[in-house]
Formats: sequence, structure tokens, C-alpha cells
Amino acid sequence: MKPIQHLFGHKDKRWALSWVLVVLVLFLWDLHFLNRPSLKLVVSGFINTMIISGLVILFTLVLGWVFTILLDAMQSRRREKTHFVVTFLLNLVRSIPQIVGVLFGYVIVTTLHRQGIISSKMQLFPLLAFAMALFIFPEVVDLMRERIDHYRKLDFFNAMRVCGIRESRIVNFNILWRNSRIHIFNKLISVFGIAVFLQCSVDFIISVGLSTDVNPISLPPTLGSLLAHYDSKQDIQSIASLFSDVSYFPQLFTIHLQGVSVAFLIVFTLVSIYNISNGYAERNQL
Amino acid sequence: MKRKLLEHAFSVVLITVVLVGAVAGIGWYERNARASEKEKTEVFGELAFVNFNDPFDRALLEDVANVYYPGQHDRNETALAEIASSHEQALAKKLTSSHESERLNIAKAGELLGMYLSFLIVYAVVIALTYYGVHTIGVWRFCLKRRELEQTQLSFFQKVLRLGRSTLGVAATFVLFSPAYVIAYALKTRLNTDTSLFMAVLALVSNGLLIVYSNKFYAFLTSESRKGYVETAYVKNLNHSYDPHASDGIPYRWIFRMRKRFDGHVFDHIYRNASFQYLPTLKEQASFLITGLIIIEMALNIHGHLSYEMLRQLLYKNYDIVIATILLVFYTVKATEVFSDVMSHRIAVGYENTDS
Repeated sequence: MKPIQHLFGHKDKRWALSWVLVVLVLFLWDLHFLNRPSLKLVVSGFINTMIISGLVILFTLVLGWVFTILLDAMQSRRREKTHFVVTFLLNLVRSIPQIVGVLFGYVIVTTLHRQGIISSKMQLFPLLAFAMALFIFPEVVDLMRERIDHYRKLDFFNAMRVCGIRESRIVNFNILWRNSRIHIFNKLISVFGIAVFLQCSVDFIISVGLSTDVNPISLPPTLGSLLAHYDSKQDIQSIASLFSDVSYFPQLFTIHLQGVSVAFLIVFTLVSIYNISNGYAERNQL
Repeated sequence: MKRKLLEHAFSVVLITVVLVGAVAGIGWYERNARASEKEKTEVFGELAFVNFNDPFDRALLEDVANVYYPGQHDRNETALAEIASSHEQALAKKLTSSHESERLNIAKAGELLGMYLSFLIVYAVVIALTYYGVHTIGVWRFCLKRRELEQTQLSFFQKVLRLGRSTLGVAATFVLFSPAYVIAYALKTRLNTDTSLFMAVLALVSNGLLIVYSNKFYAFLTSESRKGYVETAYVKNLNHSYDPHASDGIPYRWIFRMRKRFDGHVFDHIYRNASFQYLPTLKEQASFLITGLIIIEMALNIHGHLSYEMLRQLLYKNYDIVIATILLVFYTVKATEVFSDVMSHRIAVGYENTDS
């Protein structure tokens, strides 16, 4: 009884488990009702989206950590001019709406892909993820800087320095790892949500806006590009038919399965991530 | 504060200079590319009396070339073939992409400014509505939670009501978290999705904007309510009931009014302090909203709107117009950042009674 209580007792664990279960149930449903080529597309789209979003987390963490340490080192060594320049550049990145930055990143990557400079998924995915991480990582820097500033004001920082511990170790190990990893992890959960949202949006925009006959782009399928697919759009549009004929509802889950599955996966993933992040923050009293 | 304003001004100037430089650079590059292309074929290319579609004219020109450049038969033949091919290509390009190629001239700039103005109006309306929505939902949730804590025993009816409310909440969360294009495509056959009104409503209720930021505001309210001064206010006998029907409670009309005030209630102080803390988040909210608006305009292919125009020009590789559009979007974000900083500073000065 206890393990079940342990699993369902907390909002974040409950939502994480629900997400896994619902995705599995959806897969089984699709396996039964969706045709094989579409099922293959939906599965690969979902996996590709998750892989790219996972890579975004990795790049965001690395970039965020590196820039935080850089800024902190500049501040403590009183290199004010360099500190100002880096802060200024970070603020500049922050002032560019994420979607614009990511869209341009994607355009550059797809151009390289079209010219054959990038060919495999192994090269493409990290580049797409990096383009996204570039416009998300300032949020992680803000959090880390806030944590370091908070701990610098406390006695423990000076006490450790007096004990002869290196400042870099205090910042990296004692502050960021020991005392902030829960905060950072919570931030990374929301970064994952932002990555899924931005990726789906950009893929959708590129697939719809940059029409394929003019600009042939053969990126691997993701949930966003699948949603922009002609069949999926028709499936989504069929939802409106419920206004005139409610009895049409069951058919959405059999006839219009591709679009409905993709849209549901996007929305349910976003809702789950939001609730996991909130639950995690509540559980750890952040 | 002066330092912050200077930083904003500097970044505006820097980005303007860089992007205007980029526009000039692109213009210069295109002119050079055209000139070098022209140079290659100008020896024979501009002979108005030669019809390159006529085999007789082409053969005659080849003979003339062989007379003027004797002993270079192969070179002359290749040059003429290139000219004929470039003429064909130029004609084909002219026919297929005459509507695609545009330059950033005064007329185009005027057109862009008109689109920008319409974007600004939608943006201003939605930011005002989200600001109100975020505060109202945050306060509503806070009061509801407090009331639930005050109620120790629930009747069956109250339990059912709470369950119904939770179910409704989950359904609303799904809608509010849906990306704008999912909602828009679901309604496309029923509604005219190309209007600014639809865009404003969609920006408000989609992409998780309202729910994420109202949750942030709720977190500020909760953390503020745990502070010591709240306990002191209880002891000093300030009203602290959250029952909407009690004389010392918070009526619903207080929650929904535009300028929220909770006179004589401890929540007034909680709300004011939380609102102050929320002000810097306005920058983040504005940036997210702009992202949402851009997504809506681009994904729905709303013709004659700024972001769709940017996407279209990006597709046709008219980069000078794309850069001008980005510059306009950047100014909007910067203006919001300046507004948020000035407001925060003014309120902080009011609290601290100092001008730091």
C-alpha cells in the first residue's frame, strides 16, 4: 500500500505517472485504430520531439551554468566592463522574442540541411536544440545568479572562505549543487515545457508558412510538423462539427485519429509538465 | 534607474545601428551580385537588335563574334550559349517571382508601419486584459483556497460542488494550455479567424499565457501571506475573513473590479505587495505574449499582419524587410521593458521614500 501512496501522494509524481500511462493508452488505441504509416509518423514525431526537447535541457543547463560562472567570476574579480558587456548581451537576447530567435535558428539549420552540409539526425537534432537553447538559457542564468547572490549575503559563504575553501568550489558545489539543484531541476522541467511548446510552434509555422513547394524542407517529423500536415489539419477542423452534431464525437477517436492524437499529445504533455513543475515546487516548498 | 534607462537606450541604439547596417549590407551585396552577373554577359548581352530566341540572329551573332575574336571559336560559342541561357532564366524568374521580390522603400515602410500599428493595438489590448486576468484569477484562487481552509466540515452538496469545480478547472486548463493554432484550426470552419478581435481573444486564452502567469501571481500572494506582518495585522484585528458573504469578508465584486482595493482587510496589504513583486514579471509576460501573437499571425497565415509579412518576406528572401520587421518587434519589447522598470522604480520610491 505504501509504494502506491508514495507514488500517488504527490502531485508531481501523480502527473508524471499519468502522463506515461495516458501516452501508453493512446499508443495502444492508435495501434488498434490508426493505419500503420500514420502510426509510424505519430510515434516518430513524438520521439523526435522528446529527443530534441531533452537536448534543449542539456544545452540550456550547460550554457546557463557556464555563463553564471563567467558572470560570477567577473563580478568577484571586479571586471566591471566585461561583466557589463556580458550582462548587456544577455539582456539583448532576452529582448528578442523567443519564437523569432528560434525561427531564425531553424531557418539557418534547414538551409544547411538543404545544402547537404548537415545530413544525419545526429547532426540535425543537436543543432535544432542548440538554436532553441540559445534563447532559453538566460532564464537559467537568472535563477542561478539569484541563488548565488542570496548565498553570498549569508555568513556561511564567508565562513567557508575563511576555512580556505576555493570560491569556485563554494559556488559550484556548495551553492549550486548542494543548495540549489532542486530549484535548478524545477527550472529544467519548465524549460522542457518551453522547448516542447516552441518546437511544436516553429515546426508548425515552418510547415504551414514556408510552403513545401517553394521551400522543400525534409526535416524529421515532429509533433508540430505533423499537426501542420494536411490530414491532421482536417482532423482538427472536424472538431468544430461537434457544434452542429454532438453524435459525431466518437468518430473523432476513430476516423480523425491522426490529428486528434497529435494535438492531444501536445496539449497533454504541456499540461502535465506544468502540473509536474507546480507539484515539484509545492513538494519541495520552493 | 538612470543606469537602467541608459542601458535600454544603448541597446536600442546598438541594435538599430547593427540592423540598419545589415539592411545596407544586404543592399550593397545584392547590387554587387547583380553588377558582376551583368559584367559577365555585357559584351553581347545588351544588343537590343538581337533576338536571342531567333536561331538566325544567334548564328549571325556567333559569326560576328568569330570575326571580332578570331581563333576563339569555342569561347565565343560558350559565351553566346550562356547569354541565351541567362536571358531565358531572367525571363522565367521575372514571370514566376515578379510578386516575390520587394524592396524596403518608403511605400513598403509605410505599409509595414500600418501593420505595426495594428499589431501594437492588439498587443496593448491583450497585455491590459492579461494583466487584469492574471490578477483576478490569482486573487480568486487565493480567496478560494483560504475559504477552503476556513471550512472544516463539508456537506455533501459542497463536496459535489468542489468536485465539479475541479473537473471544470482541469477542462479549462486543457483549453488554456492549447497552442493557439490548435484552437484556431478547431474553430476555423465555424468562425472568421482572420480578424484582429479573434486574434486578441485567442492570444488571451491560449498558449498557457493566462494560466502560467496567474499561477506566478498566486505564488507571490501565497508567499506574501506567510510573512510576519500578516500575523501582526490579525492581532491588530484587521478584517481577515475570506467569506464573500460576511461583512468583514471579501465580496466577489471586489475581486472582479478593475482597480482592486480591499479596504480594511489584511488582504489589501498582501495584494499590494504581491502586485509590486509581480511588476518585473510583466517584462517576461510581455515577451511571451509577443511570442504568442507572432505564432498566431504566422500559423494562421493572417494576410496583411506584421508577423505573417515577416514570414512571407523570409520565404522570398527579402531580408531587408525581414530585418525592419524584427526591429519593430524589438522596439515593442524594449518599450514594455522600460515601462515596467519605470513603474517598478516609481512604486519602490513611493514605498522607500528615497530616490536611489
